[in-house]
Formats: sequence, C-alpha cells, structure tokens
Amino acid sequence: MNNNPQSAIRNPQSDLLSVEIAGIRFNNPVLTASGTCGYGLDMAELIDLNKLGGVCTKGLSTRPLGGNAPWRIVETHGGMLNAIGLQNIGARAFVEEKLPELRRYDTRIIPNVFGYTVEEYIEAIEILEDGEGIDGYELNISCPNVKAGGESFANDARQAAEVTAAVKRAARRPVIVKLSPNVTDIAVIARSVEDAGADALSLINTAVGMSIDINTRRPRLANVTGGLSGPAIKPIAVRCVFQAFRAVKIPLMGIGGIATVEDALEFIIAGALAIQVGTANFYDPSASMKIIDGLADYCRRNGLENIGALVGTVELNH
Amino acid sequence: MPGTIDTLATVECNDLIESVSTRSYGQLRLRLDRQIPVLPGQFAMIKPHGHYEPLLRRAMAYYRCGLGKKSLSVDFIYQILGRGTQMLAKLKAGDEVDFLGSLGNTFYIEAAHRHEALLVAGGVGSAALFMLAEELVRCKIPTKLFIGGAGRGDLCGLGDFISLLSSDQVISATMDGSYGEKGFVTVPFEKHLQSRRGEPMIIYACGPDPMLHRVSQIADQFAVPAQLSLESPMACGFGICVGCAVAVKAESPVGFIYKKVCTDGPVFWSNELHW
Repeated sequence: MNNNPQSAIRNPQSDLLSVEIAGIRFNNPVLTASGTCGYGLDMAELIDLNKLGGVCTKGLSTRPLGGNAPWRIVETHGGMLNAIGLQNIGARAFVEEKLPELRRYDTRIIPNVFGYTVEEYIEAIEILEDGEGIDGYELNISCPNVKAGGESFANDARQAAEVTAAVKRAARRPVIVKLSPNVTDIAVIARSVEDAGADALSLINTAVGMSIDINTRRPRLANVTGGLSGPAIKPIAVRCVFQAFRAVKIPLMGIGGIATVEDALEFIIAGALAIQVGTANFYDPSASMKIIDGLADYCRRNGLENIGALVGTVELNH
Repeated sequence: MPGTIDTLATVECNDLIESVSTRSYGQLRLRLDRQIPVLPGQFAMIKPHGHYEPLLRRAMAYYRCGLGKKSLSVDFIYQILGRGTQMLAKLKAGDEVDFLGSLGNTFYIEAAHRHEALLVAGGVGSAALFMLAEELVRCKIPTKLFIGGAGRGDLCGLGDFISLLSSDQVISATMDGSYGEKGFVTVPFEKHLQSRRGEPMIIYACGPDPMLHRVSQIADQFAVPAQLSLESPMACGFGICVGCAVAVKAESPVGFIYKKVCTDGPVFWSNELHW
C-alpha cells in the first residue's frame, strides 16, 4: 500500500515493524486477540484500528451461539477466569454485518473460527471464504470434539492434525492454528499441526482454571471451570512459545498476558514473530497502541532494521 | 458509545462514610480536565492508576456530576467489598485514576411525563438514581423515593435525596429497624402502589437482584412500567468481554437471548428481562 520511498522516511515505523506471516503482510506485529476485541469495530472509538497490525475476531461458528449462563467472569490474582461460552453472531452475520465496515481500516483481518466437529469448522470456513477483505483464519482448536468423546481437538496430536488438514483443504487463505497450553507436550502438538499443513501457530489459548467462593462453597463461574488469562499466565505462554519455536519452522504468534512492550519483547525473543494483546484490552484499551510505539523505539535504540531480527534470539549460554 | 473517553482523572476527595453496620462505603470525587456527556444511569470503569492489582477496572455508576469552566467532576459512591473497592478506598486527593467513561445507556425519562415517578433503591444502588432524581425534579415530575438497606448507614445518599425531594417524599426501610420501617423496602413500595392503583406511575429501581426481582413482580401486578438499572461483573465496560450477560426475553429455543449489561444496559425495562 506504500510504494513511495519518501513516506518510508516520514514513517520509518513501518519498516521497523512490518512482518510477513504465512504470506500475510502485517504493518506491525501487534494484533488484538480473539475474544478480547469483539469484531474489531467495538474498539474503533478507543484506538486507531489503522495503526493495529491485525485483528483476530471473536470466535465464529457456523451458527450464532448464545453463550453460557452468568456468572461468566471472575477476577483472580493477576488475571481473570472466563467462561463466556463462545457467544458469537455466527460466520454469516460477521461477513454481512461486520466485515464491510472492518475492511475499511488498514489492518489485517483474521477471523477466529471454531466448531465442535471437523465438519463444523469446514462449514464456518466455507461461509467466510465468501467474505472480501479477510486475510487469513485463526483456528481455535480448544473446543471439545463431540464426535470423538468430547476431548478437545487441541489436546490430541492426531485430532489437532485432522482438523488442521481438513481446514487447509477447504481454505484458500492462510491458516493459523491456535494452540492450547493444557497439554502434556506442546512441541508434539505444534509439530503435528505443522505437518498437517498449518501456515503458522498462535499460542497460547487460556489455561483451564477454577475459583471457589469459600462462603457458599460454590464455583464462582456458572460453568464451574473457565479459561485463565492475563499477566498471571504470561510465563506459561513464554515457555510454550520457546518450546514451539524449537519444534517447528512455521512462524509463531505469541499470546498470553501481554500488556506492555516489555511483555511483547519477551515473547519475540522467545520465538514469536508477532504477538496478540488479549485481556489487557479490557483494562487498558490502548495497550496495543503503546506496545507498537514501544517496539519501534526498541528497534531504534538497539539498531534493529526490523523487529524480525529479534525473533528467537533468547541467549541460553551463560 | 459516542462520548466515551479513556483518560486519567484526578481525585478531588475520597471520603469514607461512617456506617453503623458492618458494611463500609466511600464517596469518591474525580476531576476530568475535559467535559463529556454524563447522563443519569451511566457509569464509568475506574481503578487507581499504575496499579497491577487489581487488574480490572471497576464499574461505578455516576452519583452526581458538576461542571467547571473546562473541567468536569463526577462523584461515585462505592461499597467496600473486595480488592478493587479496597484499593479505591485508599485513594487520596491528587491521586490519579484510570477513567473510562461515559458508558452505558440512560433512564428513559420521557416516559415519566404526567406520571408520578417512584424510585426504589437498595443499598448502594441508590447511587445510580440520584442524577435521575435531579433530572425528574428539574422536569417538575412528582418523585418519591423508597430507599432500603441493612441499617441506617446503608441508606446511601439519604441526606442528599431528602434535600432534593423533601423528607415526606423519601420513605425508608431498614432490615434492622434502625431507620424508617423495619423490613424490606419493597413492602412500603407495594403499599403505595396499592393506595394509588390506577393512577399514572412509572418505576425506576436499582439495587440487589432479589430486590429488583420483587420490584419487577410488583410492577407486573399493578401494570406499572418499570426501568431497572442492573449490576454485573464486567471486565471491560464497553462490550468486548461479554462477561456481563443478562437474559432478555426473545424468540429463541430457550425463550431468551443474552444481552450485555454494559452496552445494552445497564438500564432495562423490567418486562424485557427473563428472570
């Protein structure tokens, strides 16, 4: 979009921060994470979407979903548990009602997609394939596979690969697979999904957690368990990115408690080529904007021509 | 959400309110260096600036507001319950606060014209009704407040309401009998509706869910329209976390859909809600 060398001088941030992942060119490596920015437009009054590298939408399914009964969220130390229940307007409504406005912004649009069977993933992807302005898909594979005993796709290397391969056959756009931390060995799942054709990985989804009210002795969430997010899970996420970086060749997007530029840099040094800001959008809506500026400053201070030079440079020799 | 800003506000004062009950309250006044629309029933998300704990801002209903030359001051009354409100209680004049507002819808005041407005408040819920009461008085709508709480100290803003409405238009009830009638505030409220049966009335209420449910039943029984201001845990306040779900009647397999207290509310008509 920017072929004028003069403008690169005026806006050197674009050179410092632009990254390519799975053939998608991002103006910078900072996206908002699925489930924490609605359909992107919901943040348009508080941040400049044109400045954002990309938007991962709220998880979309073939049909609209109503979500779980309240209570759906509870704050914990350094984070929060949520059990929203994947409430969403459905892939068709996204394409028809949200996408036309969202694609007016200069940001990459990555719909997050989920299903409870492989067929549901395919059906949702097929609906989204009609949408103009979509740059790629992010697969949430943390849902239970109801046709295979209800175990999460993400917890089983074979099922994770199966859904990845099926979606890759159906999608003409790049596919980013979002991994769950609730697994024995994330490197095994990462390799399996890479072998199945994933173009990139994003990690991590929330860590399953629980909180109990000691007075009523009832779980604080109506769903009993929920997904833990926020700064509390950041070290787990950094470790997962570090392990996945050593396991696969495809690019990684780091997610998990990123709220500041220092957090983002930690993920990049661990191996992420891009990062997603999640829970921080709730309590600091402009966190992603500050991180973008902070990354450019870091590049300038450290003489980096592009942020990509920092990826996976963690120093293990003392 | 036109008019919503994310900014730093400065604490003007933060007074802890003496309470004879085991509950404690605070009244916080913030100053913003710019003016934004502040409507009755709306709220802001606030937390002390620069603190990692608690992580999330807290949703607080506007209690009252005042315009300076270029500034705006807003008051909140909060009940000190958990980590978030304990942190608010520590704020001192001059401290900075992360402020996101104004958020949410407003009461439908036009519906009160040529009606008697009946306000029903439970505990700290009264905070969400004071600006509404001011507006009703400004519109010369006869307004009566039914205010209830555990004890005298839980009738938040009582003095302000009496100054605004006069004491004979404020009916109090406390569970311990320390002030006004003993028992639930919905009892004198129901009696009033019985005595005025058939006259044009409208109800505005804010308080604990069981109180709102009872108000809703009474409103149904006397066929009086009621607007309820709901409270719900919320992470963001502007519609993206979808944590603050409330079941609203709708044609669906289960008879309801979930709406968001933050952006679809916090004010709902009582006959919309799926209790």
